[in-house]
Amino acid sequence: MKPLNYAILKFVTTVKEACADDVMAALEGEYSHFKAFSKPGVISALMTAEANGLLEETRFDMDSNNELRVYYHAHEEGAATINHYIKD
Amino acid sequence: MSEVSGSANLTAANAKMKLAADFKKKGIIIALLSGLLYGFYTAFMTLGMSKGVWADWYGANTTGLSAFTITFLLGALGAATTDSCSAVWALGFATVRGRLGDFFRCLKTKPGLMMVIGALIGGPLASTAYVVGLMKAGSIVVPISALCPAIGAILARFWFKQELNARMMLGISICFLASFMIAYPTLGGDAPDGMAVGIFFGFLAAIGWGFEGCVCGYGTSMIDSEVGITIRQVTSGLANLIILVPLFGMIAGDVDTFGLVVQSFTDSDAMIYFIIAGLSAYLTFMFWYKGTSMSGAALGMSCNGTFSFWGPFVCWIVLGVIFGIEGWTIAPIAWVAAVVMVIGIFIIALNPLDLLKKKEQM
Repeated sequence: MKPLNYAILKFVTTVKEACADDVMAALEGEYSHFKAFSKPGVISALMTAEANGLLEETRFDMDSNNELRVYYHAHEEGAATINHYIKD
Repeated sequence: MSEVSGSANLTAANAKMKLAADFKKKGIIIALLSGLLYGFYTAFMTLGMSKGVWADWYGANTTGLSAFTITFLLGALGAATTDSCSAVWALGFATVRGRLGDFFRCLKTKPGLMMVIGALIGGPLASTAYVVGLMKAGSIVVPISALCPAIGAILARFWFKQELNARMMLGISICFLASFMIAYPTLGGDAPDGMAVGIFFGFLAAIGWGFEGCVCGYGTSMIDSEVGITIRQVTSGLANLIILVPLFGMIAGDVDTFGLVVQSFTDSDAMIYFIIAGLSAYLTFMFWYKGTSMSGAALGMSCNGTFSFWGPFVCWIVLGVIFGIEGWTIAPIAWVAAVVMVIGIFIIALNPLDLLKKKEQM
């Protein structure tokens, strides 16, 4: 089992784009018992990765609950860095 | 890069702007708090090292400790006691906040090992150099150790091929000018004994923390900052206690190192201050990592660099004003130099023209 932050970053490298809800849906099975597994926590991890150049934002919209949804994807260099440091 | 999906959605755009602004504001506040808490870490560690058995070791010295033991072994022991308390705080917080499992998982990974290396350089080596500097030269060492962002920028240029342009070089020159201003009183004949040595060790601390900022910046872009700081404090505390203190004990020769360690950890008069210093150390380094990872290395490190002001200021308030210990007011030129150094750090980290451009765009 990977640390939660690693799992979040690795998941984003495997999809075209993902928002916090997508990440939570994908990791729920393994990480739902983690205290740090919360939507604000996942959003913070994604925004931190973006601030450090590992991910980039692709688009944003409002979901059916009128909550902001921001999508990210791992660009080539970011994905290479993530995969170099975090092994499967 | 970003665009609003579908038709223009003003609500989404506003919510997105607010989210980004709140995140940046939070990062800056956290990074600034790391600078302030650094002052409390310094003040309470210094206070602990002036109470109980420490008062005798550094004062009357009834046990007859050698000059080497007093300078280096006690310096390492002070750092070890503070870092060990900090490691206990870090493990406690990690347990309560559900990060303990990830702490062990991260240790076995590449970013985790990078954090360990950064912690070894920034912890036992830099922290001990910092304590030795403080004991020799007082709070004047604080702004000198605040050269670490400048040194970090130089190291990052050579190791990680990061940008080091003319503006950053100007900022670094300003920082070195400020440290020269701080060191200026030691160049005259009336410099206090040991001040030049203390300033030298302050520089060593700056190099160690510059290295740590450089290396751990990579680590914390992938590791949760609370997990990262737990790795740092546990590595630092253990390495201080298990490697550095015994090493200095062996070099010192005729000294009961284990006895000194036991006395340091069981002296309740001093320990209460080490516990507070440990909490401050945990918070200041955690906020440094978190603020830097949220705001980006340049802005985060520059905000943290304000400890060159907060360090002497908090030492003066806690040690000088509250506890009435003499010698914690510093020369006016050092205060001016601390402010000059902060300006230098900001010039390294931020392009003033970018700030103006952003203002115009708004």
